[in-house]
Amino acid sequence: MAQTNDEQLLSNVFDVGVERLKLIGNHAQVLMQGYLSGGIEASALSEQALKKLINARVIYQPDDSHELKLRHPVTQLIAAMVTDESRRQVNADIADKLQSIRGFVQGFREAQRSGDVIRADNQLQRTEEAVYDLTSQFEEAIFSLWHRLNSNFGFVSNLSDKIRENSRAQQQIRRLIEGLSLIDFDELIELAEGNPTLRKLLVTKLQAQINGHHGSLLEVQKRLVELMTRFREQQERSLLVTRMAGFLREHPGFTVGDYAYRSRVPTLINQATAIIPAAAVALDRRDQHTDIASMVHGLYKELAIRAKTNDADSNTQAVDNREQQQAVEARQQQLKHDAMQYFIAVCDSEAPLSALDYLYQQSLEWPAEAWLFQVIGEYNSLPRHEQKLFNIERSEQPLSRYNQVIVIEDITLSFNT
Amino acid sequence: MISPVYGPLIEKLLAGEFICAITDEAHFTKLQDEQTRDNIDAYLKPLNRRLAANDEGSVYFLAYRDLDDDARECLKQQLSVVMGSMLPLLEWLTYIQEAMGSDGILTAGDTLKLQELTVKTEDNPSLRQRLQSLANDRFFNSQSDAVDGQAKQVAKRLVEHGYLLQPHTNRLYFIVTGKIDYLLELVRFIKDEENIPLDETTSQAELL
Repeated sequence: MAQTNDEQLLSNVFDVGVERLKLIGNHAQVLMQGYLSGGIEASALSEQALKKLINARVIYQPDDSHELKLRHPVTQLIAAMVTDESRRQVNADIADKLQSIRGFVQGFREAQRSGDVIRADNQLQRTEEAVYDLTSQFEEAIFSLWHRLNSNFGFVSNLSDKIRENSRAQQQIRRLIEGLSLIDFDELIELAEGNPTLRKLLVTKLQAQINGHHGSLLEVQKRLVELMTRFREQQERSLLVTRMAGFLREHPGFTVGDYAYRSRVPTLINQATAIIPAAAVALDRRDQHTDIASMVHGLYKELAIRAKTNDADSNTQAVDNREQQQAVEARQQQLKHDAMQYFIAVCDSEAPLSALDYLYQQSLEWPAEAWLFQVIGEYNSLPRHEQKLFNIERSEQPLSRYNQVIVIEDITLSFNT
Repeated sequence: MISPVYGPLIEKLLAGEFICAITDEAHFTKLQDEQTRDNIDAYLKPLNRRLAANDEGSVYFLAYRDLDDDARECLKQQLSVVMGSMLPLLEWLTYIQEAMGSDGILTAGDTLKLQELTVKTEDNPSLRQRLQSLANDRFFNSQSDAVDGQAKQVAKRLVEHGYLLQPHTNRLYFIVTGKIDYLLELVRFIKDEENIPLDETTSQAELL
């Protein structure tokens, strides 16, 4: 069972992987251009290709601008493949990224002072990239963590592996949170001083993003801990059951202590024997005599009917069936008639009239569900111009938070005058 | 004075039923209220019964209020019955876990589709054998040789004993009730009470 699951998973991963690698291959030139120049013009790709690449998490659109950028892992992949050491980051940590941001900002300031516009632009772009790298590291990690959580760690097949993976993920979160605490906004404010672009980049935007990441991390952490508790409970139950079964198998003569005769009987053992509250017909109350008499009468009737049906041959059964069918038809007609009466009542009434209220007011015998169904049916069978005379309003709600089947609870009709 | 709405609930409890959120959600919800529980307790006093719950509070049942000799004798007999059915029940739980390939043992609220279980068992000789020996156990007591018949009999017995709930009599799907929690708590209790060295025995069994 577990094995076929694994195989399925693998073949699925394989298929998606091949598809996405091909996708990268198909757009190799555009992507490589993007890698070198730092951005891709949206017009360089067809809309469909653009969508696919974004969905495959190859490229992304940083803001509302038309320029697209390579995602961090893709950049990293290319960087690793062409051994582009200037952009390749192995074991990148937050402190390192912060350091490179400081470096680029310094470079930018120096270039500005010396009036080297091109170099300043270049350094600014590098700063931008470094900031993005910083946030995308969290983004990627958070994405991966949620993914692991939502798939219930389905990529490993047994429970103890899941527990290991879960604790590894929790450690990662702790490290990421520690990393976040290294980002000192006082320092960044100082760094960006006097330059609106830098300020927006290093302070406003970054702060919002980091806050978001911090929130997400805490949420994932909470959920991972919850899941871990569930895993551990499952594990404990599994072990308890298999081991106890093993023990009992090996010790067929095993008996427990005399719990019932202890001075303190364990609560779990104290389970009382059943008492059946029986009752029989009693004739000592005069006021109940009529009720009992009618019951006896009903019983005679029932016995008579049973005797009759026992005698009945297949022929009379067929007649019965026809009779039953006629009875059903008659009821159907009655239901239709009652529904029409309701429509007439709506025409007469000034206020909107709820179908269920009408049902109860008129004390009709129909089950609420059948009644609503009939009212909707009647409404739908009206000619279009007649339908327009009525406002139909359904009060409905989903079955539960997890089941989106919408249940109609009532119908309110009003007449358009 | 006890409100008449508790009548059916008290009858169920007196009949020895375990009330949990799965078997009887409406009554279970009522039992969450301390005042209700006190009322029921007061009502049951002359019958030497009181309302009891498992540690988790996920299932309610009736216990003896005072443990006189008769009560103790009943408990003793009952316990020996429970102990007699414990191994088949635990074996059934592990069989289900393996057949369904799930991470954990069944818990309250899990659903069980007999059809699915039968198909999986039929395809697997080891599972077939396990079901066979379960079905032949006195507790389940099946006379059938077919997987289908055995699975049905096992489920039927579990419904009778309150571990499974069959929402529709003509449909073969079942919901695990809170009584399974009670069973596991009892197992845990016995393990602790009798100092059963479960950790060592299985590691040895696994080595063998």
